[in-house]
Amino acid sequence: MKPEIGKLLEIVAGKLLFEVAPGVQPAYRQQSVGLTAMLLGMVREECDRAAARRVEENTALRALFGRAAPRVTEPELRRRLEAAAAASEPSLLVSALEKSNDALRALLIELHAHVEGESAAWARGVDDEIWKELRTSTERRRFSLAPF
Amino acid sequence: MQDLAARISAYAAHKLPHARDVVASDVDRIHGGASRETYRFKLRFREGERELERRLILRRDPPGSLIETDRAAEFAAYRAFHGTAVPVPEAVWLESDAKWLDHPFFVMEELSGFEASPQAIIAPPYSAFAERTAREKWTILGAIASADPDKLGVVGLLPGPAQPADAWRRELDHWTRVIDEDELAPQPIIRAAIRRLRRAPPPPPKRLHVVHGDYRTGNFLYDKEGGIRGILDWEMAHLGDPLEDLAWSINRIWCWARDGRVGGLTSKENAIRLWETASGLRADPEALRWWELFSSVKGLAIWISGGHEYQEGSNKDPVLAFSSIWLTNAQDRCALETMGKLS
Repeated sequence: MKPEIGKLLEIVAGKLLFEVAPGVQPAYRQQSVGLTAMLLGMVREECDRAAARRVEENTALRALFGRAAPRVTEPELRRRLEAAAAASEPSLLVSALEKSNDALRALLIELHAHVEGESAAWARGVDDEIWKELRTSTERRRFSLAPF
Repeated sequence: MQDLAARISAYAAHKLPHARDVVASDVDRIHGGASRETYRFKLRFREGERELERRLILRRDPPGSLIETDRAAEFAAYRAFHGTAVPVPEAVWLESDAKWLDHPFFVMEELSGFEASPQAIIAPPYSAFAERTAREKWTILGAIASADPDKLGVVGLLPGPAQPADAWRRELDHWTRVIDEDELAPQPIIRAAIRRLRRAPPPPPKRLHVVHGDYRTGNFLYDKEGGIRGILDWEMAHLGDPLEDLAWSINRIWCWARDGRVGGLTSKENAIRLWETASGLRADPEALRWWELFSSVKGLAIWISGGHEYQEGSNKDPVLAFSSIWLTNAQDRCALETMGKLS
């Protein structure tokens, strides 16, 4: 798509913020236009990385599940971890990647709760891996505009 | 807005049976918290030979919002603190009958001529008075914490637990339920935070205190010399542990200047010291850390709840989508930091 999506959103956001918003009344609507422009700025940032960060994260989660599964003693959880680890992306559409990501992160919550209840050394190792992945996941999702 | 002005006029005439020529005008919607539609307006009327004008604020329940709250509690909080060391506008009318303006609402005095923006406070000319604003901000919060709910007359009007020992559980249960109902995607960091909070509850407060519920830069009015002139947005006011307010006020999400100063104003240590001095209470570090982590659970619940409303289409105010996208990840980072997992 040309002009590129990022460039297009940058220009539209700039027009809204600096040309449209100052002429809008009342103040509530003016602020809404300004917020919409800033929203477009974040959409622009997300748009470029949308597929990449989801593929990276889904791959990392599957690898983590693959390492954790053999140690997990609860049979049903282990079976689902093994199945998730062996799966691959059915499509690279962002909507499909997002669906996979939601399923993987839901399973991550279960695994995390499970290892918190285990005192063995392997569980502490998986727990450390999970926290590392969660830390990395916040970096993947971070916006340059964020207050923190 | 003409229709709304006419309907406000009719309502005001009903509430002022001895007044004549009651006319609402200059109705203007403003951003005044994301939980209710907020309008300012002028009300003119005659009483006897006198012609009077009041500048008022209308807070009306919207179809959907960031926070589902009880307007009666908010109204009660304004009424309770009016005329005390905690500056608040006068609460005027509370109306639960939707026949007047389609949704329940309340009316309060407008404190005009002041600034509320968290972006303005970190820039000149206001930034020069940051330490004064900080001193007043946490001193007022200390006054809220030290207030006696019985003497204020808010027991039974503000929601809260039966016992101080249940303060943490009531709040954590409530905001966990909001996440359960509204999350659009799994939240592994906040789920881990919730489990951690349940494993190690905080010590209870000695008694129940008034908790503002959203005490932060952006929810008070300040003047050109940095003086705080009005504490607003009491929609989440309740009875509970005063450390909840302190923790919320120092949450990293409100570091608007992105330099570590809490609320864009001062150091975390100074804010705590100011609060302790004003309240006469001690902020036990372990208990405060529990409430700081809870603040991130509550914050995330609010952001995803707004995103849910926006996605469902019940409220298309861009502030809901903006807050949800802008702050969800930042709130996760806050939670990681509080749990010692950010680095």
